[in-house]
Amino acid sequence: MSRKATAGPSALPELTSDDMCPVCKTIRYLNKDMEFLINPECYHSMCVNCVNRLFNDGPNQCPYAGCHRTLRRKGFRSAFFGDLAVEREVDIRRRVAAVFNQVEDDFETLRDYNDYLQMVEDLTFDLVNGSEAKRREAEATLQRWEAEHRADIERNRRAGREADEQSRRRLAAEREAARQRRVEALREAEEERRERERSREMELDSLAQGDAAAATGAQHQQRVQLKKRGQANRALEAATMTTTAAGTPAAADVGRLSIRGLKEKKKAPAASEGPYDPFGGMDFVPSRYKIRPGLTHPAIDKYRHDPAHITGGYSFDEYIDRVMFEAFAGLGVFIEDEKEAGIGLSAGEVATISAGIAAVGDKMELD
Amino acid sequence: MAGSPFGAPTAAPAPDGQQLDLDGPEQWNETVKRKYVKEKKIGEGTYANVYRGHMRHDPSTLVAIKKIKHQDDYRDGMPPAAVREMKYLQELRHPNIIRLLDTFGTGVDTLNFVLEYLPLGDLEMLIRDVHRVRYGVADIKAWMGMLTRAVWFCHSNYVLHRDIKPNNLLIAADGEVKLADFGLAQSFADPGRRMTANVITRWYRPPELLFGARHYGGAVDVWSVAMVFAELIIRTPFLPGDSEFEQIALICKHIGTPTEENWPGVTQLRDYTVPSEVVPVWGKEAYMGRFGAVGADGVDLLVKTLALNPAKRITAHEMLQHRWWRADPKPTPKEDLPRKSGGEEKMGADLKRKNGLLDEENGTRGAKVARKLDFGQAK
Repeated sequence: MSRKATAGPSALPELTSDDMCPVCKTIRYLNKDMEFLINPECYHSMCVNCVNRLFNDGPNQCPYAGCHRTLRRKGFRSAFFGDLAVEREVDIRRRVAAVFNQVEDDFETLRDYNDYLQMVEDLTFDLVNGSEAKRREAEATLQRWEAEHRADIERNRRAGREADEQSRRRLAAEREAARQRRVEALREAEEERRERERSREMELDSLAQGDAAAATGAQHQQRVQLKKRGQANRALEAATMTTTAAGTPAAADVGRLSIRGLKEKKKAPAASEGPYDPFGGMDFVPSRYKIRPGLTHPAIDKYRHDPAHITGGYSFDEYIDRVMFEAFAGLGVFIEDEKEAGIGLSAGEVATISAGIAAVGDKMELD
Repeated sequence: MAGSPFGAPTAAPAPDGQQLDLDGPEQWNETVKRKYVKEKKIGEGTYANVYRGHMRHDPSTLVAIKKIKHQDDYRDGMPPAAVREMKYLQELRHPNIIRLLDTFGTGVDTLNFVLEYLPLGDLEMLIRDVHRVRYGVADIKAWMGMLTRAVWFCHSNYVLHRDIKPNNLLIAADGEVKLADFGLAQSFADPGRRMTANVITRWYRPPELLFGARHYGGAVDVWSVAMVFAELIIRTPFLPGDSEFEQIALICKHIGTPTEENWPGVTQLRDYTVPSEVVPVWGKEAYMGRFGAVGADGVDLLVKTLALNPAKRITAHEMLQHRWWRADPKPTPKEDLPRKSGGEEKMGADLKRKNGLLDEENGTRGAKVARKLDFGQAK
């Protein structure tokens, strides 16, 4: 990005040298503490003395030739970047980002979000590098958006702040936990060292007394000690595992703060659901016919009193249910019609059709 | 064509001249086959190998491909278990039943099932992993709800599953429990048609099947559901009999002895043998101690599903009408259910297990138990 191409309102000043104020021509040689300030209105830099001299008595025009902007003392600050074009672009981006502060979650699809980002970037580019007309247009768009979406912007800003705060707290908690762990480890190591020393002394003492049995005893004790250590480790492991696996809220582990927050977020929509439906929203009650108790047929009557069927739990109701279903399966399904008009026949139509078919069935029986 | 490896990147539509003169079904088979890409083997068993795969046009959609091995026992066709599984899974579509997405053949006699990919292991893993997995009544209620819905759906469509047990209940990535393994499934029989009594893994087998009843209905699956319910609560199989006789003895001891009084006609069943000491059927209070965690309503439901007489046993539909589902606590939303990332090895292990062994058609195998279980490593 060359500086010429990024000419702002009036051509941005060439900061030819850090050592000379372009306004009063004072050089660093004369004033060692010379400091340059800029005003984001026009980004023309000048030394502190000039600023004080020109603007102490209220707003005044920029002293640069051809720049007629009115500047105030309050607006001046020292530039963060050496290149003032960069300084200006960063300022603009900051301003645009404060207004267009939607996050990905606000959008239905990733595509929408990307389109939005593209739009914002185009607008930013116009503001930074665009021609006068483009710049004005972009400025107007920005202000309109800000006016229209004030509430949204405020909400997003708060959400962003909260997220920042949360991640800051989590980091702090993690650091704290790590510190605790280090302290704990140090303490344990120290304790272990002392224990080892003590048992060694005991062993030496008993050896000095020439008691071999006691020496083996001491060795035994050492082994016990090692074992104890292993146990402690295992216990610790188990404890961490249960906390991670079960996620009991009782565990007051600071490191898990963020995980709980995550879960709550997920749970929120589920809680708003209605009462639990054990059937999962399904229903198989036949709509085309009704089954009355006591329905019977000669073909199954001979089995009704067969002990083998009764004791085994064979259900004739299930059977009747099934044959009725099979008898009616496919009725009222007209593939050609469905292809044309989609599924959905009135109950009346179905009834007449099935009656017709039933009549045909009777006739066939007579034959 | 027989030797062409499935999933090989065949970019050209006709790699060899032979494909040009495929007939309709073969053409269709090729089309289906091309839809999926096999990745790697995630399980191997005697009956089937299981591979992970994905859709060719969308690599992020994972599937499990169960490749039925060629079995010498069934020279004249497909193993009956494979046929059953295909027959029933093709028909049943329910959120709590494993979805069969496609089937296709490779080679002359190899069948491939494309099943939905269920990466989170099965319910048995969760029940057994006492140290790392904790769950409560709300979770049990959620799992039982999903299981009961699956069984109710099967029965509403006139299909008996006949092998319900925790390790046939796989868990989807979103926590949904899915009933799998329809290798022993069967349609509800017509009256007068005998079915085999040698189905359902022994620990989950109802007394009528243990007594050799040949005419039975949906009540057999309901008993298995009750066993899973009990197991979910106490986290160990409720009635783990080592033999059929011991299984009957355990039922008599823990639930009550089936007699003519509580189950008319039971003594006439072919294999009716009970220990001489008659235990009266336990009441609800007796269960409160061991199963009281699910509350009085939950125990009430359990007792109703544990009725000895299948005619008196609650149906899956009636189970769902029970007041327990509406009582507090509310079932956990599926995404918050406890889970364990068992990984794909376990899914492979679950799918590859030998499917239903037994069948009226092959009497020689009838003498064996339905399935060998290995809970040894879990104890």
